[in-house]
Amino acid sequence: MKIIIAGAGEVGTHLAKLLSREEQDIILIDNDEEKLRELDANYNLMTIVGNPTAFMTLKQAKVHQADLFIAVMPFETRNIMACTMASKLGAKKTLARVDNYEYLLPENKAFFDSLGVNELIYPEKLAAEEVITALRHTWTRNWFELCNGELIVLSVKLHDNAKILNKKLYEVTTADSQFHIAAIKRIHETIIPRGNDEIKVGDIAYFTTTPNHIGEIRQLAGESEAEIHKIMIMGGSRIAIRISSYAPDDMDIKLIECDRQKSYKLAERMHDVIIIQGDGRNVDLLKEEGIRDMDAFIALTDSSETNILACLTAKELGVQKTIAEVENLQFISTAERLNIGNIINKKLLAASRIFQLLLDEDSSNAKCLALSDAEVMELVAKENSKITKAPVKDLKLPSDLTIGGLVRNGHGMVVTGNTWIQPNDHVVIFCLDTALHKIDKLFN
Amino acid sequence: MAKINVRVILKFIGMLLCLEAILMLAPYIVALIYGEGDAMAFLLSIGITAITGGALFYFFRNARNEVGKRESYLIVTSIWLFFTLFGMLPFCFMPNSLSVADAFFETVSGLTTTGASIIPNVEALPHGILFWRSFTHLIGGMGIILLTVAILPMLNHQGGLILFNSEVTGISHEKLKPKIGETSKKLWYVYISLTAILCLLLCVGPMKPFDAICHAFSTMATGGFSTKQASLNHWHSAYIDYVITIFTFVAGINFALVYRAVTGDVKRLFSNEETKWYTVIVVGATVVVVAGLYVTGQNSSFEETVRVSLAQVVTVITSTGYTVGDYVAWGPFFTTIFLLLMFFGACAGSTCGGAKIDRLVVLAKNTRNEFYRVIHPNAILPVRVNGKAISHEVVSKILAFILVYVMVLIAGSIVLTALGLSIEEAFGSTLSCLSNIGPGAGATGPVGNYAFIPDIGKWTLSFIMLIGRLELFTVLILFTSYFWKNS
Repeated sequence: MKIIIAGAGEVGTHLAKLLSREEQDIILIDNDEEKLRELDANYNLMTIVGNPTAFMTLKQAKVHQADLFIAVMPFETRNIMACTMASKLGAKKTLARVDNYEYLLPENKAFFDSLGVNELIYPEKLAAEEVITALRHTWTRNWFELCNGELIVLSVKLHDNAKILNKKLYEVTTADSQFHIAAIKRIHETIIPRGNDEIKVGDIAYFTTTPNHIGEIRQLAGESEAEIHKIMIMGGSRIAIRISSYAPDDMDIKLIECDRQKSYKLAERMHDVIIIQGDGRNVDLLKEEGIRDMDAFIALTDSSETNILACLTAKELGVQKTIAEVENLQFISTAERLNIGNIINKKLLAASRIFQLLLDEDSSNAKCLALSDAEVMELVAKENSKITKAPVKDLKLPSDLTIGGLVRNGHGMVVTGNTWIQPNDHVVIFCLDTALHKIDKLFN
Repeated sequence: MAKINVRVILKFIGMLLCLEAILMLAPYIVALIYGEGDAMAFLLSIGITAITGGALFYFFRNARNEVGKRESYLIVTSIWLFFTLFGMLPFCFMPNSLSVADAFFETVSGLTTTGASIIPNVEALPHGILFWRSFTHLIGGMGIILLTVAILPMLNHQGGLILFNSEVTGISHEKLKPKIGETSKKLWYVYISLTAILCLLLCVGPMKPFDAICHAFSTMATGGFSTKQASLNHWHSAYIDYVITIFTFVAGINFALVYRAVTGDVKRLFSNEETKWYTVIVVGATVVVVAGLYVTGQNSSFEETVRVSLAQVVTVITSTGYTVGDYVAWGPFFTTIFLLLMFFGACAGSTCGGAKIDRLVVLAKNTRNEFYRVIHPNAILPVRVNGKAISHEVVSKILAFILVYVMVLIAGSIVLTALGLSIEEAFGSTLSCLSNIGPGAGATGPVGNYAFIPDIGKWTLSFIMLIGRLELFTVLILFTSYFWKNS
């Protein structure tokens, strides 16, 4: 598949790097030669220096042969313009990143189709959805729904009240149990556990399961479902606006924004939200606004450092659930180790959303959810591939990967040793970075 | 920084040796056809190479395919070294075998497409060996790594790309396709197609098919090994001179541009600054040589003088090094002109050696700017090539490159003069080997060879050929202390 990415910003770069490892022809276009030089020399992709909204550049990139044109430049107008030009020049499918929620409304779909823009992504919306998911499932660290929610991957940090501590895995799971512990994150490393491994306090365990068995896992983990009613948000970003519109009616939101002018604007747009003008790093202010009574604290300022620190403070003050927006990719693994609940990153969300679209387009693609040093992938088993040749226990899988679950004919199921994978099953794989190249052999 | 991943390096070497064993089947078949007693030598070489390669690959098959910067430099240099070590086996096993130093020299010279020979009488060699000599040109011409990246899908990833960048010549490496494997394939298509066309054209002329094949290999790889002692002069055929000159000239152009021209983008080829300079230099040098020959009264008929001058200029600037005219016999003025041509060579991204014209262009423009800045110290003057400004980092990299080039040249000359060669011969041979040309000056000139140089000199020159082929930094970086430090 030939994919052209316009804009070598953080989303564009991240996507290009991920896709270049696979069987994709990637062309990355940007005005800035500096940004491209490093990528061109070190990644298996082609770069073109030029304006993505110039006919000359697009023709040079042979846009008429492109299967997908992705515009992720900083300005939505340029993204839409670039997509329009690309699709009129013959690109099969186009995708633009936009900053305006209005564009996503169903009634405007026809308008964008007429412009030749097939898909729109709005990272703030994705981030807001992520936050809402996290608030619904407070006891989890991560929550991914795969194949329209047929299969769920979730991670839980295990405290000393969990029921599965210090037990060998084979004691915890029986042949007919409906979940699978696919990975364990212990301090700095990720482990793909075998039957003889034990679970210890402080581990983050990754489960795969079907929607009906979530409760079982919650009980095993010793967690209780906390209802979230009071939320404090720090930073009046666009994500905050989206959250306020998605939040169910029983959630009360208090928003802290330090810019006075902006606070007034926010108050105009968000009717049900109490807007407090002040610095969210000020502990006295937080106390005054009743942070101790809050169920959740969400830090969404522009500064990742501020968000991380604010969440740590909120935890100390007794808030159960904290969520921090961390935009610097380098901070994420450090932030995950701290005691912050969930971390959201617009770029990763946007990139994995685009991946998902690619999967729908061409089933030979993998969809990745990166978890610092391990990855979760959804792959389709091909006819005659090695993985379909025997039941899972006889496949002699490498020790650094495991099969979490699969979706067959739209129904999710957990994989055990006796499962025999059929062609066209969507299989969820957990693997360490070291096992990436082995996956190809199994599935092709 | 992480420790060097030795396992993956050994795995690559193993893989490449297996490839070499397969490639050696070609001269083995030739040897069988002619039945001159060298078939056994090839069979033995294939056996040793295949077993060593197979064993290495088998033991390290599970090595992680992670190739960083250091691994890539080590892999590229060691692959060239190992290819030579095993490629020289047929010379060691053949009847009237060569000494190790000689065999190594001959093989490096073949793979780096230098074409300098230590064999006094080429025509006495069996056909299998002659074929192997030319075949090493073909393999090395476009680059061993490039060949591997093109045919092995497992290298079509990031690691392959980094290897590609450490082997391909010139300042910038233009990608033809997003995937490195595809780019390499396209370059090889161009290369092989041109070789095939040339081979057919030569067969039509007075050459025998065997000579035509060998010369086609040598020409497109800009190597210079011939199957005849007198090189091209053996045939005294204007047709062969012209055909070979034209193809050598094409072999001196950036293959990426040739590919684009073939696929319809001819304008880009002719508007490219480097190609223009290349053409101007070739025409200019030919005019000077023709004029020189007339002034010194060494001219024959006008057509022949022009043909011989042009052929000799093209064969030297593209680092091929066939013998058409003997510039050493023409006089010192001609030797100087040809040594100058040797220094810069032809275009980057071709099969040629030398410092490459793209660097010459940048340096010339930068020097012009420096002069202008003497009067206008605050002027902002970027070096522009093909309408694009070249950054200061690239300019300073090129300056460093030229400095190192000259230093290697001087060091090589010092070693050779210490061994008793005259200054002219020492300098000429070193420059010729560094630029992968073949003929040097004095006794190593177009009609001479390198047989008389002592073994130490041959080893030195072999090393210099390798440095020159991999454009200095890839090899020399291994001799720095920070390359090996884990910090």
